[in-house]
Amino acid sequence: MTQDQQEAKIDQRALEVCVRCGTCRSVCPAFEVLGWESKNTRGRVMVAKALGEGLAPDASVLDSLNTCTTCGICAAKCPAGANPPAIVQAARRGLVSQGIMTAAQAGFRAKVAGSGNTFGEVGDRLAWLSDAGAIKEKAEAVYFVGCLDSYRYPEVAAKTFDILRRFGVALLPDEKCCGSPLIRTGSSALKVIDENLRQIREMKAKTVVTGCAGCLSTLKSSYPPEFEVVSVPEFLAERLSVLRPRRLDLTVTYHDPCHLGRHAGIFDPPREVIKAICRLVEMKRSREDARCCGGGGGVRAGYPELSLEIAKRRLQDVPAGVDAIVSCCPLCIRNLSDAGAGVGAEVEVIDLVDLVARAIGPP
Amino acid sequence: MDIIEKLRDIVGDRASASPAERLCYSSDASQVRGTPDYVVRPLSTEEVSDVVGLAAAEGVAVTARGAGTGLAGGAVPVRGGIVLDLSGMDRIVELDLSNLAVVVEPGVVQARLNERLRPHGFFFPPDPGSAAFCTIGGLIANNGSGMRAVKYGTTRNYVLDLEVVLADGSVVRTGSRTLKAAAGYDLTRLFIGSEGTLGVITGAVLRVAPLPKARRLVIASFSSAEEAGRAVASTFAAGIVPAACEILDRTTVAVLRRCDPGLRLPDGDVLLFEVDGSEAAVAEAAEEIAALCSASAASVAVVAGGEEMEEIWAARRLVGAAVSRLDPAKSRIYVGEDVGVPIKEIPALIREVAEISDRFGIPAMKYGHIGDGNLHVALFIDVLDEGEWTRLAGAADAIHRAAIRLGGTVSSEHGIGAARSGYMMEQVGSGALSVMRAIKKALDPRGIMNPGKLGLDDGPAEVGGSGCSTGADGTPGGTS
Repeated sequence: MTQDQQEAKIDQRALEVCVRCGTCRSVCPAFEVLGWESKNTRGRVMVAKALGEGLAPDASVLDSLNTCTTCGICAAKCPAGANPPAIVQAARRGLVSQGIMTAAQAGFRAKVAGSGNTFGEVGDRLAWLSDAGAIKEKAEAVYFVGCLDSYRYPEVAAKTFDILRRFGVALLPDEKCCGSPLIRTGSSALKVIDENLRQIREMKAKTVVTGCAGCLSTLKSSYPPEFEVVSVPEFLAERLSVLRPRRLDLTVTYHDPCHLGRHAGIFDPPREVIKAICRLVEMKRSREDARCCGGGGGVRAGYPELSLEIAKRRLQDVPAGVDAIVSCCPLCIRNLSDAGAGVGAEVEVIDLVDLVARAIGPP
Repeated sequence: MDIIEKLRDIVGDRASASPAERLCYSSDASQVRGTPDYVVRPLSTEEVSDVVGLAAAEGVAVTARGAGTGLAGGAVPVRGGIVLDLSGMDRIVELDLSNLAVVVEPGVVQARLNERLRPHGFFFPPDPGSAAFCTIGGLIANNGSGMRAVKYGTTRNYVLDLEVVLADGSVVRTGSRTLKAAAGYDLTRLFIGSEGTLGVITGAVLRVAPLPKARRLVIASFSSAEEAGRAVASTFAAGIVPAACEILDRTTVAVLRRCDPGLRLPDGDVLLFEVDGSEAAVAEAAEEIAALCSASAASVAVVAGGEEMEEIWAARRLVGAAVSRLDPAKSRIYVGEDVGVPIKEIPALIREVAEISDRFGIPAMKYGHIGDGNLHVALFIDVLDEGEWTRLAGAADAIHRAAIRLGGTVSSEHGIGAARSGYMMEQVGSGALSVMRAIKKALDPRGIMNPGKLGLDDGPAEVGGSGCSTGADGTPGGTS
């Protein structure tokens, strides 16, 4: 059995945990939009099970499995303790290992294989870095930038690094995609993981700091546990006394990224940072109950209309009268922005680092 | 033109015959299986009427479905045909609170209705464990209820009027918006609990109740479930009617603690009494119940509403599915899970269930609405062990027969569906079953409305009594 096949094997017991009670119907964000039982968690578990019993994987089966954002709210609410995102990922993996996938899944594979990033960008990943002298050979801690901040939000990458480097955090010389989009959509990420791991080892880094929730989740769960993985909000929260941000006359709300909150249990640090700077009003549903932005699990690329509709519904949770939505994940920020945040009268979504950068002075 | 094209003419892309939908609509939370040929998600009464009219013309079965949370296969199309998923018809049409009424479509989720009613000081009392996701249509079709049925009754007490699409596609209304009506046969009640065998409910006028001002919870623990059962009987004999009266046996308590280690529940077999009403009334009732229980209880505590009480109820609602938290190799299988007996027979039922559990070697968690005689027995097995399925079927059958023998029922609130249809003759008797079959024949002469349910089909008794196996295709549902 190849490693791919091994990872694609679904534990029969994991499937049997689901008793089809239907609790997930009340929380699955994709189901809320689409309404079909196959687009709900319970249906996806049935599909995953049936694949093992000979169900032919046609387009309806692929759509069932691939419309899951892996937000994990089903797992958080499941009374039986099922872990549907893991089941969905393994089922996707099983099909991909047989060459059965959607165009979006194939796209991620081709782009990451060809360019080392999720967009297929050929430009310099560190183009945002003004000071090439910041690259070091060895460092206790490194900043894992991620594809989105590297190529889509380079100003956030620059602001983040500007703060992190004050504490001796360095950069990887040739960072690749963390592997998250591949793993979520059923492909092997071993090649990019090995590439990143080699550099982390060569730099002798003990800590990897990242500002992307997807990268955080992947670094924590799909890399060997040889280094500590720290989110930017955790890093900042621990150093508030050094950073000494000034108060800003703002009221913001906070969107919990699924892979930072529910998946990694990081709820309080971003809130501590925000409260040190300005007023925080919670969204209608937050923390463990936070709704997904709709961007994860390959849904943004594979099912853009669904993805944006989920994001629009999430924006309905924004309380009235806030000046901005703060989050800690570039994918959430991008999806919520595309769904209308920051357009016309709608408040914009900003990265926590944007807020912190406004509240602290130069080093 | 084939049937799927004709369905698409009616509902557009809300009709599907895809392998994934046919699979995902082939079961509910029971072990009953039956694969539909088509799944349709109508959004209006007109669409339902057109689909049923088409089904009548084509001689195709129609099975209505809400959230698919049923535990007896009521929404499973055991004869194939069309599944009508009504969960998209989810509008709360009107709050008519000066008439104590609300008008809803069948797909409205119970909890969402209560969210809308709460700010107005009202609620819809039937509150099943699945309240956060089950639909009103399903509650009506199964006469569902829940924890507060002791005081508030079941869904049937809250339905004033229904809109129903009959087997020929025609639309009728069964009642009126008045709180009382004496105008001929009570068709509203005929359709309540009919499990979609007579027509499809497409709208309902519901009666609502004012929210109580105060609630209080009495938590008493006992040395045995039987002892707890006796305490319930003596509480009722003293003339006290709590809003809810639940039993959690010691296994259930262990599962709840595993789910939420912070939950403050005592050791032993536990009774939860909820009393509601005015502040003074609940204080007095809680005190009386506590005094009555303390004669035989190991401990008694009173919780005065608030977060702690909500946490206990929230955990209780979902405990049925949570048993695998105790042992990951075991899964809860919903069979023999809904028996009910007259209140004074509760200790006897608990004793019998314990004996059956021992005899078949199938562990049982006992919990439920003991205040109305409804005991939920959670049997759990290793689903990968074929032998356990056989013993499970035997245990479920024995539990059903014990309930009937004690003057009770095989289903208190989950319904008969296909899983328990084999007990209908024994449960209601041949005379009553003949009447039911005559009604079915009159309203659905071609037998297209949810066939294979309630023991209504002519001929030999329905498949298996245990609920572990049924299905049009003859596949043993439980082991598939």
